[in-house]
Amino acid sequence: MYKQLFSYPFLSNQPSKETYYNLPDLVEYITSDEYIAITEDHTDKNIYKELIKCYKANLLFLREHGVPHSKQEQFNTFNLNKLYSLDILTNNVAKTSAIFDKLGYLATSDENLVTCIDGDVFTTENINKKSSAGLQILDYMKVGKQRHTEYTKLIEKTGNFSNLTFGSSIYPNVFIFPNGSKSKYANKPVKITYENSKDDPILESNTNIVDVQYGTHVKLVEKVKTTAGQMNYVTYIVREGSTLEIDRDTTDAGGWSIFDSRFICHPNSIVKINCSNTGSQYTQENFYFKCSSGVKLELNGRNNIRKGNEYYSFVRVRSADNDNTSNIDVRNIGNEHSKTSWIGRFEVSPTSTGFDGTMDNDNLMLSSTAKMNTRPILDIYTKEIECTHGCTISNVDKNQLYYLQSKGFDKATATSMLVESFLC
Amino acid sequence: MCSTAAEIIDNNQNLKYNKPMLKLKNYSVSGVLENINVDFEKGKKYIVMGSNGVGKSTLIHSIMGRPDLEVSGELTLGSADLLDMPVDQRAKAGLFVAFQTPTAIPGLSNFQMMKQALDLKGSELGKKLAEYKDNAKALKLPEGWDKRNVNYDASGGEKKKSELIHLKMLDNKVAMLDEPDSGLDVDGIKSLITTLNDWHNEENTLIVVTHYEKLIEGINPDAVLVLKKDNVIVGDKTLADTIFSKGFDSV
Repeated sequence: MYKQLFSYPFLSNQPSKETYYNLPDLVEYITSDEYIAITEDHTDKNIYKELIKCYKANLLFLREHGVPHSKQEQFNTFNLNKLYSLDILTNNVAKTSAIFDKLGYLATSDENLVTCIDGDVFTTENINKKSSAGLQILDYMKVGKQRHTEYTKLIEKTGNFSNLTFGSSIYPNVFIFPNGSKSKYANKPVKITYENSKDDPILESNTNIVDVQYGTHVKLVEKVKTTAGQMNYVTYIVREGSTLEIDRDTTDAGGWSIFDSRFICHPNSIVKINCSNTGSQYTQENFYFKCSSGVKLELNGRNNIRKGNEYYSFVRVRSADNDNTSNIDVRNIGNEHSKTSWIGRFEVSPTSTGFDGTMDNDNLMLSSTAKMNTRPILDIYTKEIECTHGCTISNVDKNQLYYLQSKGFDKATATSMLVESFLC
Repeated sequence: MCSTAAEIIDNNQNLKYNKPMLKLKNYSVSGVLENINVDFEKGKKYIVMGSNGVGKSTLIHSIMGRPDLEVSGELTLGSADLLDMPVDQRAKAGLFVAFQTPTAIPGLSNFQMMKQALDLKGSELGKKLAEYKDNAKALKLPEGWDKRNVNYDASGGEKKKSELIHLKMLDNKVAMLDEPDSGLDVDGIKSLITTLNDWHNEENTLIVVTHYEKLIEGINPDAVLVLKKDNVIVGDKTLADTIFSKGFDSV
């Protein structure tokens, strides 16, 4: 990424930053006058001009606000100092055929596979086939200008990491599940993998938009594998009467990641998310939901954070209109020296009567060296709602442990059984 | 000479406990019980009685090895010294405890727990599931009990019946049941008596803490023990009758 933004080798001329940089350096770089001037001068006819405008506005916003900081509510228990001190290797090597070798499995599989690497999208052959009800992928937003106007408007100035992700990936990719596909992609889910191109400590970013059109049922199986730094910003549009299911698994492969998921839920839509995490040297997973009316939302997180790993999560549900249901149930396990933080927020507007929400975050500390934070926030502006929350942090229950041991299980096996039952 | 639980398990088929099977000598527990001396013999059934708070449950759980209880004295199972064994080793050596208030474990199904416990003993999966279902049916537990979570969202009686399935399937040598009658309805009490009498044989020992007359009658114990803070009074079934008519102060 870094030196490849519009192929302009900006920072390579700075001797002190020849090898490594970090996220604040990146913000400094992409919000500098020189870099913004490049975006204005960019004359590639294939690039949609509205996108360039949007991109520039995003950079100016980023310049004004800088990187997210710990005084912001959603990040104030996160380990941002660590994040900002992570070394990122300048990646001035152009993408090579090595990536294609790595993705060889796409050529032979008959599954619906999509792999996203640093803004590029690679798919299996059956997804590429043009059909009236098939998944359409607008990569780089280079075609279909009329559609791009709509999608470009969706990229907001949020103040979280999504602005930085967009600033470093430039071309959003759009995945459209057309109305005619009905349940085709629920019956045969689309598996999307977010990968790095190499194991070196580089940073790669993806900005995607997923559009689930009216009356459609889609299931996505997302795998996030980070061998290096990875920032993802995905906007999911779930249109009226449609259902989106996501199973997301984020596994530590030696890197770090930030994944911002934004959901725009149209009336009577259903969103079900099951996510699991192992944490990594730094993993941040944020969910932002905007619900209109009659939206059913379910988020289940089952995170077993490995020894020494970190996992931070922020969930915000904004309910703007009537009769929305939101069930959030996130459970974290903290192993030795792990760190977790979970912040959940319901924002229910005065016009959102009939909101029914439950927010649960339970944390199980397996070691006294684990650090776990939890914070539920209910911001309610109407009386006609049902809303509950419950957040706990506890150790392994001694009575449960003794009960299992009395049935013949040794301490390690009994603890493991209790961990599994906690994550069930 | 002391044997470890592993040695006992290795010689499982040739278990030759010296009488008594379970022996407590000068046994004290966390300031609750002091210098208790009692022998539980192989092939016999015992009822343990005692006034509220005297330490009946504490006694049972201390024998099982509950970690928060401090004990001293001697505690042996056959030739094995139990005092230094952790809870699971004592279970493997042959001890079983049925809890007065069985602990709920949400997320772990009844059968999954039993399966994993039996895996340690190398049983076949199909046989285990069929046996589990048969036992649940015999105890009139609801359909699908095997899939329900351990002691979670269950009535007091259902939890007690669930403990009885463990008793039957885990096949231990010494079973200690802590007020197994509480929470059971009339039919449940009958099932309890049948289960305990079916389970008991000349090779094992049954110890039941209870004050329920019908249960004592149904079990027909070889001995009744009345637990005092620093003493155990041993008698036959007439000792229980005396207590029912005149109270604990009379003995």
